[in-house]
Amino acid sequence: MDPILAEIYSTILPSAPYVIAAYALIWVALLVYVLMIMRGTKKATAQIALLEEEVQEKLGKDE
Amino acid sequence: MAKEKKPPVLPEAGQWPDKVAPVALVAGAVLTTIGFLLTFLWVPPVVGASVNGAALIGDSMVTQQLLLSQKIFYFHMPVALVSFIALVFAAYYGIRFLATRNARFDACSKVAMEISLLFIIMTMITGEMWTRFEWGVWWTWEPRLTTYLILMLIVIAYFILRNAVDEPERCSVYAAVVSIVALIDVPICFMITRLIPSSVHPVVLREGGMTADMGICLAVVLVGMLAVGFALYRARFGQVRLGQRVEALKDALEEN
Repeated sequence: MDPILAEIYSTILPSAPYVIAAYALIWVALLVYVLMIMRGTKKATAQIALLEEEVQEKLGKDE
Repeated sequence: MAKEKKPPVLPEAGQWPDKVAPVALVAGAVLTTIGFLLTFLWVPPVVGASVNGAALIGDSMVTQQLLLSQKIFYFHMPVALVSFIALVFAAYYGIRFLATRNARFDACSKVAMEISLLFIIMTMITGEMWTRFEWGVWWTWEPRLTTYLILMLIVIAYFILRNAVDEPERCSVYAAVVSIVALIDVPICFMITRLIPSSVHPVVLREGGMTADMGICLAVVLVGMLAVGFALYRARFGQVRLGQRVEALKDALEEN
């Protein structure tokens, strides 16, 4: 490779892992938060289903 | 005849912003993807130190090193701005809570603080990658970094405080005050590079600070990240409200 070109490109390859890591970690952080929201929503929905059953049982007993 | 004062409309899951949120999420995903492509395919690389000679790359003579690491900037700055905007909303809802003592505003403030923390973490990650490569260190006590670290610590303290105080209303009052304190740090953090100039964080939001193509790329990512932040806020708020309704139902069942 032309030595001047090699010098011009000398900062490209060594910085690539940091650039890739920066972009990847942004999406990892977003994904983790989305998964946390999804998990929480799923848990709350399951709890609502249980509570509905409990209310039905209670109503059945009252009748 | 005196007009009856309408009660304020409380934020609730399922209101019109929830109808906009999925569109915002898709728009955010599309815009950040476009921004990513613009960053690497359209905006020319920023040049660094001079080299001993010149070489023809494409149709231009290049005499300086090309800085790929600068590409981090196109996502680093927008996520930092979104973290500031989320803090503005957190403080706004904190103030509304202090004025009305309505727990709904406290929930809004807490969710906005969470979004802010998420974007602060993203800012820190991208900043660290830049600092590690360009300066060879993971941390340096530079004014912007230091004020932003203080901001991050205040936001973390907010969540520690929420977990430490048992009495709900007292917890919400303290939290609202901390959210306002965090907001006070935002202009300090934003203006610090103007007050104490630093080579690590140049002032870019001014005439000549960026070229037009850099500005366009940055704006696309910023709008995309704002849309993503808004969609996440609504999704998390919906989840928090669902949790609160579950707790209310449990209490009602226990009482009967």
